[in-house]
Amino acid sequence: MNDMRKKSCIAMLLAGGQGSRLGLLTKVVAKPAVPFGGKYRIIDFPLSNCANSGIDVVGVLTQYQPLELNRYIGSGQPWDLDLTNGGVFVLPPYMKAKSGEWYRGTANAIHQNVSFIEQYDPDYVLVLSGDHIYKMDYNKMLASHIETGADITIAVRPVPWEVASSFGIMNVDPENTIVEFEEKPKLPKSNLASMGVYIFTWPVLKSYLDKDACDPASKNDFGKNVIPAMLHDRLKLKAYAFDGYWKDVGTIESLWEANMDLLKIPPEFNLSDARWPIYARSPVLPPHFIGQRASIEHSMIAEGCEVNGTVRKSVLFYGVEVEKDALVEDSVIMPYARIEAGAVVRRAIVAENCVVSAGCVVGEANGDIALVGQDTALPEGCRVLAGEQVDRLDVARRRHDAK
Amino acid sequence: MKDIMGIIFTTKDDLSLRELTSARAVAALPVAGRYRIVDFVLSNLVNSGARNVGVIMQRNYHSLMDHLGSGKEWDLHTRNNGLFILPPFLTQENGGEYAGVLDGLRANFDYLRRSRQELAIVTGSNMVFNMSFEPMIRQHEKTGADITMLYTKVRASNMELGSAQKHAHAFLNVAEDGRVVDMEVNPNAASYNNISMNVLLVKRTLLIHLVDGATAHGAHDLDRDLLQPSIKCCSLKVYGYEFDGYCRPVETIRGYFRCNMDLLDLGVRRELFKTMPVYTKIRDEVPAIYRSGNSVKNSLVADGCVIEGSVENCVLFRGVRVGRGSSVKNSIIMQDSNIEEFVELENVILDKAVTIRSHGRLIGQMQYPIVIGKNVTL
Repeated sequence: MNDMRKKSCIAMLLAGGQGSRLGLLTKVVAKPAVPFGGKYRIIDFPLSNCANSGIDVVGVLTQYQPLELNRYIGSGQPWDLDLTNGGVFVLPPYMKAKSGEWYRGTANAIHQNVSFIEQYDPDYVLVLSGDHIYKMDYNKMLASHIETGADITIAVRPVPWEVASSFGIMNVDPENTIVEFEEKPKLPKSNLASMGVYIFTWPVLKSYLDKDACDPASKNDFGKNVIPAMLHDRLKLKAYAFDGYWKDVGTIESLWEANMDLLKIPPEFNLSDARWPIYARSPVLPPHFIGQRASIEHSMIAEGCEVNGTVRKSVLFYGVEVEKDALVEDSVIMPYARIEAGAVVRRAIVAENCVVSAGCVVGEANGDIALVGQDTALPEGCRVLAGEQVDRLDVARRRHDAK
Repeated sequence: MKDIMGIIFTTKDDLSLRELTSARAVAALPVAGRYRIVDFVLSNLVNSGARNVGVIMQRNYHSLMDHLGSGKEWDLHTRNNGLFILPPFLTQENGGEYAGVLDGLRANFDYLRRSRQELAIVTGSNMVFNMSFEPMIRQHEKTGADITMLYTKVRASNMELGSAQKHAHAFLNVAEDGRVVDMEVNPNAASYNNISMNVLLVKRTLLIHLVDGATAHGAHDLDRDLLQPSIKCCSLKVYGYEFDGYCRPVETIRGYFRCNMDLLDLGVRRELFKTMPVYTKIRDEVPAIYRSGNSVKNSLVADGCVIEGSVENCVLFRGVRVGRGSSVKNSIIMQDSNIEEFVELENVILDKAVTIRSHGRLIGQMQYPIVIGKNVTL
């Protein structure tokens, strides 16, 4: 017999994507493990939402660069998901008796884990992605799903019309029933974007996943195949409108912007909400130190930093050092990076463990966001232009060329 | 790493810490922006290989228990061994209150007997320092000592030794070979400048034997009734191990103030936090926010702070707010305190969740800072 207790709803978090639009930031880590907001990682948001919504079984589907993500999730303790009956489970693809294969698409990833889901005998399955910054009570959405008797409920959020063509757009009737789904339409008929948050009635989803798996032409993707098939069969698809803060941080520009949103007054997105805390695995570090000659304007600074230079409108993650006479402006400096004396960083993202040596100039006051990839030590006097991305290999190449 | 056990004492009440310890043990006193004093010695033990740590509590231990929890932050929430909270209890042979460390150990014989480790470290909990006990253990084994006592040289930079404090310490005469040849307990004028750090290393079975013998003769005080006689009549081989790093006992308001202010020095910060990690209870806080109009100099600031005013030479604990136009100097502001607008504070210690209303003004003296107790609104 099954010794697992039945769960009404469990969550499956799709964390396998590379997030290639984040360039060098996701070269060695999966997108959900990308740092955000001084001490968080993107995955903290869906995990904390689950914890706060009382959803206590979360399967995390990983396949791209999972090392950092696995280490970060660990036992799930920071999110109170280290439970006897439930918890967080990292689910990589695995070998089966006759075959073994990578996750071929979002629907396939869930399909390969049907036996995981069925252990809990759920009535509903919440499918999430690890790409967005938002606070959302999934329980309210589940209540609406149950009330309307829908087969699927898709969370939607109005987006500005001018960017609607870069989202999955839902066309709905006055009862919020989805009548059409268009992936990145050239001429959008509506501005309701899919938030990548789905609740499926499990038996319905299961039958469609089985069907989809038998179709060799299918890309095994929710947006491209499964949801269109359900629409075609006139199943009951409901849109659930969400009007809180929601940001796709899939590009360097949007990741930078979402960080800057935290600095606005009042903050466009409030992280310190006692009713909806965002949990994170915390580093073991003392409070940060602000030196005699430092100057801080309008910034967010995490623990373990040592600041002796000037910091303006920036987010400093934990363990960052800004030496004297260095300037950091309109930038995001990720954990343990060091900005040495006299260096200037403007409109840039400097990734984990980087060293921006004395006299370096990274980014420009106007222009696209510059990026220094993880573990890069920029040599003294180095320049990184607006919109440029530089990592260890580029530094080595530049050095080689100079010889 | 050798498998050792640790026994931490948190019993000593310290009246010279005024309001700060009226509702909590000294071990639970918040220090350095996000820690409690006990975090240092507890992390030292764990970093030195202790997988079994007992914390003997006596009074006001609610706050300490709340802080330690299951011990998970110190990786002491294991199936075997782990963290043992040892509050006083009443039995036929046990009065509930301990007159000294020996009574506390005697009352917990069951725990001591059940533990498996060969060596035990018995330590107080009011000392802020970061050290690995491993070299001390190696010396203990090399010298074949029965007991090794940890000591440090008295330096103006690390001790706040007014006349009141000298009474509360033991001083050691350590011979060249490391043997302790004399010990003075609570002298008015000490003959030696080696001050005991209240940390001793001893075989667990020998500890049980010694404590049993001493308490059977009505003894209570570890220093005076057990160590001193053993040194005097050479009945035990007692050695000293010198620690030459940063350490500061927190016994008085001034010592507490200095200990926090020491952290504004880069050297002290490095020694205390870069040598080995110091673990503490996690609280989910957003990184500190600096709003326009702020001016922060030479200060230690924890997560969750929101600063709009000016802050100089301060330690701000988690969740502190400094409002517009306010000026805070040479002060220690504990967790969740709220300094509203146009407030002026100098040489002040605010305990947790204190609110200073707009236009308030409190100016203390460096030698005698003003202390405002927990949850007070002024």
